[in-house]
Amino acid sequence: MKLYVYCLAAKIDALAAPVIGISGAAVDLVDVEDFSLLVSEFDGDSAPAVTRENVLAHDAVVRSVLNESTPLPFRFGTVQTEPQLRSYITTHKKALEAKLDAVRGCVEMSVKIISNNTDLDTTAEPAEQGPGVTFLKEKQRELLGSERRVQEAKQVAAWLEEQVGSFARQEEISLCPTEKLIVAAAHLIVREQVTKYRDRLASARNLRPELHFLVSGPWPPYTFSNIELEFKTRFGVS
Amino acid sequence: MSSPFDQVLIQSDVEQLEQADLSLLETLDHVLNRGLVIAGEITIAVADIDLIFLGLNVLLSSVETANEVLRKRE
Repeated sequence: MKLYVYCLAAKIDALAAPVIGISGAAVDLVDVEDFSLLVSEFDGDSAPAVTRENVLAHDAVVRSVLNESTPLPFRFGTVQTEPQLRSYITTHKKALEAKLDAVRGCVEMSVKIISNNTDLDTTAEPAEQGPGVTFLKEKQRELLGSERRVQEAKQVAAWLEEQVGSFARQEEISLCPTEKLIVAAAHLIVREQVTKYRDRLASARNLRPELHFLVSGPWPPYTFSNIELEFKTRFGVS
Repeated sequence: MSSPFDQVLIQSDVEQLEQADLSLLETLDHVLNRGLVIAGEITIAVADIDLIFLGLNVLLSSVETANEVLRKRE
């Protein structure tokens, strides 16, 4: 029998209420070292299918302990045998303790920013240009546009840092992660500071009407949970 | 790394996405692309087609995944 693993937390005596997980399975606690893991029995050989129900169930189980503790969520699809799971926890005990200490008392807030700035050079070129010149001009516009976008993303990220960076115990910023997003930020915020963080962000948004903000949270600290694997740290591969 | 949230944003006008869609996309982004990873290989399937591959420490998800989940929501 394999276990589907949802999250790891500091030792929990019992779940406050029965929790239903992936495929309607009951969620149990497994204690390993000084941790409690939320797991459910899983019959399949591979990870469960990505469905709306399964994804929401995974998140709901992680959130079920969020009021009493700050868990480290596992990524969707983590299926292990109990001996494998115990071996992993025992092997990485120190790193996991350090991660739990880092996120204790915090939640994650997510800010994604879209720029409405379409400041691209769309000046029409004279019709008599040959195809080669037209091609090179187009490439030049693409490169200049891309560079401007990166510069804008850096400026917006720095501005966001000025506005709410002081609230974040940790942050993770991605610049231009997609064609539309110019900044994607995850902030680890002490729970008692969430309201102030939101208020500050709301004020800041009013200062930048040219930007579109997508703010969500509080989340369990998904972005801040992973530990560097020893072989990655040593050999630089993942 | 590409996330379902990012991929759908490329294809859709954010103004047209409902708040519930955004919430679901954010949940997908967090649950599928982030979190503690145990070294190993995991293949996640949607409708019996392998769409997500986890090679050691890297999980890639696809726009099909996000679209599939969004379709099932309807």
